[in-house]
Amino acid sequence: MSSRILPEFELKTPQSVDETLELLATYGDSAMIMSGGSDLVVAMKMNLSPDTVISISEVAGLDKITYAPGQGLRIGAKVTIAQVLQNDAVKELYPALWQAAEVFATPQIRNSATVIGNLLRGSPAGDCSCAILALGGHIVLQNQNSNRDVSIDDFWTGYNQNARKGDELAIEIRLPPPSAQTRTIFKRMTRVNEDLAKINASVRLEMDGKLCKGARLAIGCVGPTTMRLPKTEALLTGSEINADILASIADMVATEISPIDDKRSSREYRIHVSGVLVKRLVQQAIN
Amino acid sequence: MNTRTVNLNVNGDDLILNVPVHQTLLETLREQLGQTDTKYGCGTGECGACTVIVDGDKSLNACLTLTATMEGRSITTAKGLVKNGKLSEVQEAFVSETAIQCGYCTPGMVMKSTSLLLKNPNPSEEEIRKELEGNICRCTGYDAIVKAVQKASLSFPLIKNAAE
Repeated sequence: MSSRILPEFELKTPQSVDETLELLATYGDSAMIMSGGSDLVVAMKMNLSPDTVISISEVAGLDKITYAPGQGLRIGAKVTIAQVLQNDAVKELYPALWQAAEVFATPQIRNSATVIGNLLRGSPAGDCSCAILALGGHIVLQNQNSNRDVSIDDFWTGYNQNARKGDELAIEIRLPPPSAQTRTIFKRMTRVNEDLAKINASVRLEMDGKLCKGARLAIGCVGPTTMRLPKTEALLTGSEINADILASIADMVATEISPIDDKRSSREYRIHVSGVLVKRLVQQAIN
Repeated sequence: MNTRTVNLNVNGDDLILNVPVHQTLLETLREQLGQTDTKYGCGTGECGACTVIVDGDKSLNACLTLTATMEGRSITTAKGLVKNGKLSEVQEAFVSETAIQCGYCTPGMVMKSTSLLLKNPNPSEEEIRKELEGNICRCTGYDAIVKAVQKASLSFPLIKNAAE
């Protein structure tokens, strides 16, 4: 049972990325990084007690969304869900991410929560996580000595765990540019949007008429991390998406997921509805 | 205990505060400044009772905000909407539409409604309900609150900033 009282900690408010990386080199694993704090403050009220909190609230330059044709989308570490919602390039070219932002938590939380924070928390229920896994892309991690890119496909290493090392700052997310044939969509199953999703799913299809040339299917809340559906993707890729293919999606999805009973939903519901949800998203994406 | 000095503007007053770094904005408002118009409901950003407006137009949960990270910002709370003893258009509408029962969600509802009308002076019912998704009311069933926001939108002045 939580006290909902914040523990004491050391607070650092660096003014630049360099200063942040210096702090991370020193404090590494005993520090948590905070931007909006909507997730971290709750976690600290429940059971998390870091020695040091490094707030990047005063670090300049990490709050931009930029799109360049041919290069794609770059989302800085401090970019909030609200900023994503207000961005025309995201709405038009990465609709799955925009749709995830639209139903994300509450309007107040959207003003402080960050897209990168959703990925770093790595909850299998993360809405932005689901959309970005379908869209594809990578996270840029930086420490004092170097930077490296980690594909979103390799980013989550276990339940609430990710590839970021203690001395690294996740600087930005980069998503590839869509083509004229790209179709993306996101949906979550929930009673009210404020709740964590019972299931969320997102698809990215490259369509040439009815022929599917590529498929990325992402689903959340049915395993320890947000996950792809490789067998269902193989079913679609290289096929004309007709009634037979659509009819076989649900059964294939059920073979790839490992949902559990929890506070939000049951294993049985998730097994049944996951397949229906993915099928409907594919149908909607190709129409 | 780690403390920090923070310059904060609260409802038009420039303040210099010394706060523990783990103190939330909600605690600063209620306990250090004695301004209890902002309410504690859940402490986890789910009920919206602690909603305040930052820098004129951004609604935030004060229970999830560390005061020590708010250097130089301006905060508007429910009492800050009252000008020369007169309730704001939103506050008046909540009264006239009997959108208040126990009153506990009301400051948060009023702040969120105000930030909505600042961005969207003519919202549809659907837009109002969507924007109030982060504010929970246990008494009214929300209909009177929606009507209050609709009424307020008719007389809401074209201002850009809650602190004006």
